[in-house]
Amino acid sequence: MSNTLITFCGDDALRLYVPDRATRFTRARQLEASGYWAEVVPGRRDITVQFDPHAHTPDEAMQILTSALRAPLQHGQETAQTVTIPVQFGGEEGPDLASIAANLNLTEGEVVARLVEHPLEVDMLGFTPGFAYMSGLTDDLEIPRLAQPRQQVPGGSIGLITGQCGLYALPGPGGWPIIGRTALSLFDGRAEQPFRLQPGMRVTLVDAGSP
Amino acid sequence: MSLSILKPGVQMTLQGAPRKGSRHLGVPTSGPADPLSMALANRLVENKSEATAIEITFGGAALRFNTPVSFAVTGALSDLTLNGVTIQPHTTHTAHEGDELQMATAAHGCRIYLALSAVLDAKRFLGSSSTYLPAALGGHEGRALMAGDRITLDSVRLVPAQATPEDLHPVSSNSYTLRAVEGPDFSRGSEQIWAEIYTATQRASRMGIELRGMFPVTEQVENRPSSAIWPGALQLPPGGNGFLLLADAQTTGGYPHILQVARADRHLLGQIRPGDRVRFLHRTQSQAVDALRAKQALLANWLPEFTL
Repeated sequence: MSNTLITFCGDDALRLYVPDRATRFTRARQLEASGYWAEVVPGRRDITVQFDPHAHTPDEAMQILTSALRAPLQHGQETAQTVTIPVQFGGEEGPDLASIAANLNLTEGEVVARLVEHPLEVDMLGFTPGFAYMSGLTDDLEIPRLAQPRQQVPGGSIGLITGQCGLYALPGPGGWPIIGRTALSLFDGRAEQPFRLQPGMRVTLVDAGSP
Repeated sequence: MSLSILKPGVQMTLQGAPRKGSRHLGVPTSGPADPLSMALANRLVENKSEATAIEITFGGAALRFNTPVSFAVTGALSDLTLNGVTIQPHTTHTAHEGDELQMATAAHGCRIYLALSAVLDAKRFLGSSSTYLPAALGGHEGRALMAGDRITLDSVRLVPAQATPEDLHPVSSNSYTLRAVEGPDFSRGSEQIWAEIYTATQRASRMGIELRGMFPVTEQVENRPSSAIWPGALQLPPGGNGFLLLADAQTTGGYPHILQVARADRHLLGQIRPGDRVRFLHRTQSQAVDALRAKQALLANWLPEFTL
């Protein structure tokens, strides 16, 4: 890992290129546990950390990050937590499932079957509170974003684009085609840990059938 | 004991501490768009810098004090009256029960801060009272304040009159020169960004400000992998305009992140209004941090527990 690419991301943040998913999560946990960084934010290929520029110069922060990367990764806790999410696919809950299936020359059932076949992995949370970027269908199945984003997508909606599946924890605007919805609460503002999903978790979608 | 909102103006919200360490959950920082002005208002009523205060966009607002309480107004320049009598910003005042505070439309700048010598009742999320409208977090029921709202006040005190030292009054202007460093997507050919004068468009909110002007042409990649993004980032979405991110900005993004406004000058972003001019001054990372420490040192006497 000594050749990991680190770049500045402004005057108070550094970016670490970590394309491998498993390494990225282990590394993010390690950086978070050090307590040194104000923010540790995994992206889809990288991790960005924010440092305190009142306490350390950018060069010092760079040195601290470089030496943190020399520490061996604790690959022990590889049993990622798996969360099962029941989903109503298609219909009113998933208004774009039919058009996605038609564009791919598949039936709605076939699209769903491919999606629930393996657990999905949560890459990152971002965009708006609790929005989970997850792995999706294989990259050869092209699913474009909506030409016109929706003003309001209900909380619990499942979006699907090429290579990715996204989970809207809260209602809000959204540009991903929606294939289904879960009734499971993904967000509880009063809970100690308000978000059910975290980067690195695995998600098993289960077809909850007709309502 | 309470405060009544008579007229909220364009947007009035409760803001307090920024949310820290929650960007990996998709939760933005929020808090005041201009944290220095809010800290100055809180200082005049002997509050902590990050105590919950009221942020008012563009003025044009009115409030009634339902209890005797001290208050101070800072930020964007607006004519102020208390029961029809002109009062000054950057000074502590004490209201009697039933007094009405009127704020005219701001002449310069964008956001006014009103701090009270009391604890303002607000919803908390992840330890902060700051309002984040898109997800209805914090503040007064997670929403902007409306005419008729009453904010409950606790631990009301009266404090002696003070004034912000003259040299700490922000300079109000229609043009901003912001120190900035290259962003992760700055490339050869991006240099013109340091020469151009940009204009803020009508698309301005607590999430960000759109800038019009000549921007470098960057490689737009469909399905570009998203990375962390911060307040102060200048992004280049398709369409040719730039987008400068503020306190409520999304936590991750996939558009080219071409420059980052230096931490020393990020508090100024909250005062940029549509039509204002913006220029960026090229700094290296270490110059930017030197500037931050120099500004922090200037504030240390008056605002000992505030950090930029």
